[in-house]
Amino acid sequence: MGAWRKTFMDGISLENPLTVLMIGLCATLAVTSKLEGSFFMSIAVIFVLVMSNVLVSAIRKFTPNEVRIPIFIVVIASFVTIVDLSMKAFVPGVYALLGIWIPLIVVNCIILGRAEAFAYHNTVWLSIADGLGMGIGYSVIMVMLSVVRELFGTGRIVFLGAQLLALPAWFKPPGILLSFPGAFILFGFVIAGSIALNRKLRARAKASGREIPPPPEPGCC
Amino acid sequence: MDKTAIKLVVSTTVVCIVAAAGLGMTYGVTKDRIAKMDREAEVAALRAVLPDAKRFSKVAAAEDLAAAKKAAGEVTFVSAYSASSSGGDPAGWGVRVASRGYGGPMQLVIGLDRDGKVTGVSIVAMNETPGLGTKVLTEKWFMRQFTKLPAGASDADLRKLDAISGATKSSRGVRHGVEAAVRVWRAAFGGGGGN
Repeated sequence: MGAWRKTFMDGISLENPLTVLMIGLCATLAVTSKLEGSFFMSIAVIFVLVMSNVLVSAIRKFTPNEVRIPIFIVVIASFVTIVDLSMKAFVPGVYALLGIWIPLIVVNCIILGRAEAFAYHNTVWLSIADGLGMGIGYSVIMVMLSVVRELFGTGRIVFLGAQLLALPAWFKPPGILLSFPGAFILFGFVIAGSIALNRKLRARAKASGREIPPPPEPGCC
Repeated sequence: MDKTAIKLVVSTTVVCIVAAAGLGMTYGVTKDRIAKMDREAEVAALRAVLPDAKRFSKVAAAEDLAAAKKAAGEVTFVSAYSASSSGGDPAGWGVRVASRGYGGPMQLVIGLDRDGKVTGVSIVAMNETPGLGTKVLTEKWFMRQFTKLPAGASDADLRKLDAISGATKSSRGVRHGVEAAVRVWRAAFGGGGGN
């Protein structure tokens, strides 16, 4: 159980896909201007990530090394299309908001990256932990970014038509938070926070006599 | 062929067949619901822009459609509906167009009364930046401008309307859509109105 828990927690903190591995950022910056969008995007990513991790891991013994990437892509694209069709059918309002970003999960590096780096070499059970951990790590950052961007960018947070939170009327929301420059600046602060947190985690592990390996190199896309 | 080549072909083929089967199943389950949702969204949009109308029948006359398509110009004409009140009296027209916004096509339904006055604009689908481009929906004054236009407004009348700051392209997308709808009305349904 220890390995399972460690893999799961690593996805959220020490190997967070967004703040440490830095993959899949494009969609992140694009959809986090609204909490509603990032919430459903997160659910979609968690689903696709866990399912593709499970399947890739289950068939890893029968997957020849030479054609593994095409096979991963077929698996991932299938799950993304399933999510795409289901969302269109059952939550059309949210689908209208996320639009192109759902089909684009196919090319999101987090999914392919985890299939290649983790699920292809590990058991199904551990791959579930990795998928869930990475997915939740992704969601936490998404929700954090979108809460700040929506609240301070529009003055209120609206979730599925209900207003959750509103700033007083004298607050004039700066438009920059909603556009990409604002997203980049804010994301920089989030990375800084995550680095500080991970440093603390390392220090604590060291104090209790365990060594945590250095973080992997940041990704490519 | 040696053994590895066969293995590569077989494994890829099997994965593709299984994936295709899964997708086919999902498509079968969701197909009708997606079509139903699309229809409902369109009817809801027509109701919103033509509140007095009860029934909508799709315009099918080939010459009207050809004229509408031509009149719409650069904006894509999708479909048109003639609306009638519960008593069967003609109540106006609903025109669906796809105009170019900032994030791709914006699917708009524009309601026009029998005289060609815009009664309302609603957005069926769009892909504008949430919080910026989507202001065309949340800033109520923007949409209200269109309903204050005179009957059969010209493109020049429409150009005088205000755009939303920070959402210039999205505002323009809506405006071009309305312009096209009025042109469609003039070319295909003007003069008579209702049937």
